[in-house]
Amino acid sequence: MQSLCKFYEMGDQVVKALDSIDLDFGLNDYAAIMGPSGSGKSTLMNIIGCLDTPTSGIYELNGQQVAEMDDDELARIRNREIGFVFQTFNLLPRLNCLRNVELPLIYAGVSPEEREARAREALQRVGLGDRITHKPAELSGGQIQRVAIARALINKPSIILADEPTGNLDTATSHEIMKIFGELSEAGNTIILITHEEDIARYTRRIIRLRDGKIESDKPQ
Amino acid sequence: MLLRETVIQAITSLTVNKLRSWLTIMGVAVGVFSIIAVMTALDAIDKSVESGLTSLGANTFQIQKDPAMVFGSGHSRNFYANRKEITYKQALLFRKYMEGRVRNIGFIIVRPANLAKYANRTTNPDVAMTGGDENFAASNGFAIAAGRNLSENDIRTARNSAVIGSELAETLFPSGENPLNKFIKVNGEVYTVAGVFVKKGAAFGQSQDNFVLIPITRFLQHINENSSLSITVEALSRKEYQQTIDRAIGAMRLARGLTIKDVNDFEIRTNESLIDSFRDIKIAISTGAFIISFMALLTAGVGIMNIMLVSVTERTREIGIRKSIGAPRTTILRQFLFEALFLSIAGGLIGVLVGVSAGNILALKFNLPPIFPILWITVSMVVCSAIGMAFGLFPAWKAANLNPVEALRPK
Repeated sequence: MQSLCKFYEMGDQVVKALDSIDLDFGLNDYAAIMGPSGSGKSTLMNIIGCLDTPTSGIYELNGQQVAEMDDDELARIRNREIGFVFQTFNLLPRLNCLRNVELPLIYAGVSPEEREARAREALQRVGLGDRITHKPAELSGGQIQRVAIARALINKPSIILADEPTGNLDTATSHEIMKIFGELSEAGNTIILITHEEDIARYTRRIIRLRDGKIESDKPQ
Repeated sequence: MLLRETVIQAITSLTVNKLRSWLTIMGVAVGVFSIIAVMTALDAIDKSVESGLTSLGANTFQIQKDPAMVFGSGHSRNFYANRKEITYKQALLFRKYMEGRVRNIGFIIVRPANLAKYANRTTNPDVAMTGGDENFAASNGFAIAAGRNLSENDIRTARNSAVIGSELAETLFPSGENPLNKFIKVNGEVYTVAGVFVKKGAAFGQSQDNFVLIPITRFLQHINENSSLSITVEALSRKEYQQTIDRAIGAMRLARGLTIKDVNDFEIRTNESLIDSFRDIKIAISTGAFIISFMALLTAGVGIMNIMLVSVTERTREIGIRKSIGAPRTTILRQFLFEALFLSIAGGLIGVLVGVSAGNILALKFNLPPIFPILWITVSMVVCSAIGMAFGLFPAWKAANLNPVEALRPK
């Protein structure tokens, strides 16, 4: 992305949530975006995740110009290219694990048989092969987050985008989840993490720090 | 996304709030029920009307003071009420003028709701008392089952002879007792049973056999001398029917002493005109029922919209999640639209089911054949679907256009 800007108008004031951001993520990148609250990291995540579009600038994802797209095209990109993992998990409480994980495939138009097979495989990969008929309420926080990771994986996205994935978990579980991210990175996935915890960021290979809508630093570790 | 998935999702969502879904469905069901029940009953009555009316005799028409049914204001009611009665004298003159041009002319006066007694048996006060002459039986399609008809002599001498309908005979003389030459009391007056008519059956869901026929002359002398007569005329043939009506109008004007500038102060009732009058009533009732039901359905539609809006607000997060993992707008729109449609169609089906049952129970009570008003069922279902669509569209549109960032923001 180049000179990406996102402005909000609040009354007669313009808030520059993102101010001329230039960023590149390569294949198999494993990066953490850090910064204090109000630094623009959530806005950046929304734009990277195609939930929102920038006010100006260029965002190219796998050769596709995202900034110009309408709602439905964005939905298609989110479905195919992005796997979300949220701090609050965001599973549908009425569906069991299997149904939650296969949801993106429904919107991708995959047949029921293939959906189920792939969802089982994804759940096995995060170590929940024996919990597929449980509903989210019957699982622990760490297990729910693993279901969410399985859902993010299922459509083989270009980017796995995790917004404070350990924010609601205790330390031991957090490190378990980070181990899974580590394994996924080894397997060749591109992962972008948003966090404000240094010890979580240390699991990644690259740390991008934001402050007041600008990049403060961007270095590998 | 597959249609099947959308339907499954819609039904799953509805089952989460079972009570709420049922209440909304009931709203629609009541609206549809009222249309279907009224229309089923009307169709059932309609079917029996033509057979009931034509049982009068194909070539027969009646002359009366009033039309069969009067619509409109008190003014038009008074207009008919102020007409002079058709007297026995006028009727006799009319018969004289029509002599030889017709097969039959009968006079009757009917007084409904009388109480008949024999020995210790009493009927309900629903026996019709008919004043007629010897031609009554022939012109009204009645045959004699036992005894004799009224005679010319009965009429001339205003004798207390009576011929009774089969139902009245069964009530007063059960278990095969012979009614002939027995003395019965109707409204306190004593009559000798001279004969019994053959059973005719019901028309308009009303028995035609629960009556007593007495000489018209006696009726006028003893019961009400100011009654207006009804004259029944049977034409010689179908071919001469219209011609006979025209001639009868002339004869009646003469008998009533109308001058050339007076308008007719009597009505001709034919089978057709009775059917027409019935149609008018039917149209009035169905229009009323339709308007009221439509209002009810509109209200139900507003109910659907209300519930769907609540549902969208409650499920903002779910919509956000679905959008974030790639649900396009049309899919979300379809999901919510299906929920609204499902509510309205389920309500419609229940309304049709209960309505057809209720209408047929009503029809059964009137001894009418069962009926399945396919036209009204179709109309109701179409209207229901349209209402579900129309009122579901706004909430669904609202859901589909939610901003995923806003929708996912924790509250």
